[in-house]
Amino acid sequence: MAELLQLVITGITVGMVYALIALGFVLVWKSTGVANLALGQIVLLSSWFTYGMLVQRGLPLWLGFLIVIVFSILLGWIVERVILRPLIAQPILSLITVTLGLAYFIQGIVVFIWPISVAALPRLFPIEPVHIGPAVVSQQYLWAAGISLLFFGLLSLFFRYSRMGVAMRATADDQKAVQACGIPVTRIFSRSWMFACVLAAVGGVLMSSIGGVTFGLVETGLKSFSVVILGGLDSFLGAILAGPIIGLAENLGDGYLTRLIGWGGVKDVIPFVVIIIVMFIKPYGLFGEERIERI
Amino acid sequence: MDLPAGTRNFSYAEDMTIFRTRTQKASLALLFLLLFTAPLWLDKTLLPVANLIGITLIAATGLNILTGYCGQLSIGHAGFIAVGAYTSAVLTNRLELPFIAGIIGAGLLSGLVGILFGIPSLRVKGFYLAISTIAAQFIIIWVINHWESVTGGFMGMSVPYPSLGGFVFKSESSQYFLIMAFAVACIYFAKNLARTRVGRAFVAIRDNDLAAEVMGINLFRYKLTAFFIGCFMAGIAGSLLAHWTGFLNTEFFSLSDSVLYIGMIIIGGMGTTLGPILGVVFIRLLDQALTHWLVPSLEGTDILPIGFASGAAPMVFGLAIVLFLILEPRGLAHRWQIFKSAYRLWPFSY
Repeated sequence: MAELLQLVITGITVGMVYALIALGFVLVWKSTGVANLALGQIVLLSSWFTYGMLVQRGLPLWLGFLIVIVFSILLGWIVERVILRPLIAQPILSLITVTLGLAYFIQGIVVFIWPISVAALPRLFPIEPVHIGPAVVSQQYLWAAGISLLFFGLLSLFFRYSRMGVAMRATADDQKAVQACGIPVTRIFSRSWMFACVLAAVGGVLMSSIGGVTFGLVETGLKSFSVVILGGLDSFLGAILAGPIIGLAENLGDGYLTRLIGWGGVKDVIPFVVIIIVMFIKPYGLFGEERIERI
Repeated sequence: MDLPAGTRNFSYAEDMTIFRTRTQKASLALLFLLLFTAPLWLDKTLLPVANLIGITLIAATGLNILTGYCGQLSIGHAGFIAVGAYTSAVLTNRLELPFIAGIIGAGLLSGLVGILFGIPSLRVKGFYLAISTIAAQFIIIWVINHWESVTGGFMGMSVPYPSLGGFVFKSESSQYFLIMAFAVACIYFAKNLARTRVGRAFVAIRDNDLAAEVMGINLFRYKLTAFFIGCFMAGIAGSLLAHWTGFLNTEFFSLSDSVLYIGMIIIGGMGTTLGPILGVVFIRLLDQALTHWLVPSLEGTDILPIGFASGAAPMVFGLAIVLFLILEPRGLAHRWQIFKSAYRLWPFSY
């Protein structure tokens, strides 16, 4: 019982971080129509950058995080301006593959600048475990979940009340109508990319504060694709709900399936199995809008 | 534009001929002569590169049929190659079947796995399909890594030399002939496939699958056919790779390799026969130049940071993919076409 509760709590909290990263993906997909397959590598790069600022430069936490946020905003701007802007209105195949090229490039940069494979961030959260009922949970998970919730709240406030947020939602809804209203669509595109990169950075820092800075972070990014697929590609609510589901499936599978089939590392493959299952049963996800195409 | 001045086509058969003029036939003969005498005059250090190019070419040609002609993006190609490689290895090593059974089994099993993961393509496309092929890649590699009794798991497994009718392809140069024979056969098949009913159906599906369906093209059949053919070639390439390296583990088949295959057909030019050839040669020679010539020559001179050796290649490849997509989305094949027509018309440019 204690084990089950522990797995459930860890699963849900990790899933919230996935959801946070996935939210950045959904944002870019909705407003620009680009599928950002470089998400995992952006998570990786921003985590290593955080490591570079906090450990290698030895900056205090608040300054380090400020620089990381500025860096990821800049990264989003550069990516949009240099790579995606020239490809507006190109076929979806080019839009997908260009992000793959970007992913490759970023991975090269990371290996280039940080040729070590594992590193640890300084301790961000208190380490004593917390007792919830019979379960013992490391406090970091709860902090990660709390910060994710905080960002969900901030984002929903932003999209509800800020002028820019409303414009972004409108762009996601109907690009041409928005353009006709005089809203600069390209600026919206670039804002979406900035948001996505900031969310990826926050998610990356949370994940690496738990598990260290490794190349496994790329898979964290890839796992958030399964969140996106399960929740529906164009649904914010779907991403937020599907994140904990994926986290749960992953942790429960790791806890119970490993014993059952005797193969280790079930955890890494479950999100991808979920993708395939969703593709077969309900390809547009739980809350995704099914597109009806016309010639 | 494709023909020299004075050559005209009077029949459909003439119009569809690949090698129309005497010059074209002569240059084909010359190409074959150069290709199949290469072990005699090629530098010994370059022969393995040529073999790798041949193997990659088969895989890229398969991917080109799937992605370039039929428009179904697959980011799991390295996974399908791995299926072929391990099938062939298991058949020849564990079951001690002949090489020919290994390579055919590899092709068939890869094709079937391709069909299985291609089924979602009937309902979804674009990004959804891309993600499900990425998932296929991870699931395949995970199964191979953990099914230790058959595949050897993380330890890998050794593979015997290929042999045909008692002749064992032991040396690098004998393997060169084997690989090149398969590569030429695959390219010949791909070139001809594009001119058949099936090939035209693929192109129709790529350009607009709804319109294609309305015109009476059976999407279910043709999309899965494309997956089968593309992954069959991946399986053949995997089998040749397994027998060529003599040892297998899953590090040969990572997600970045899958991305690199996509990059090759983009750089070469999707939907052309020439494209994969140019793209594969470009990427493999670039790789060779970076990792085997540039890095060793600069090593120990303290100019470079430590990460250069392992980080330079992904950076350059990623940059190449991005730049080609932005500046020349039709790839090197299109450039070559421009060059040829400009050369034909010179000095009268119209």
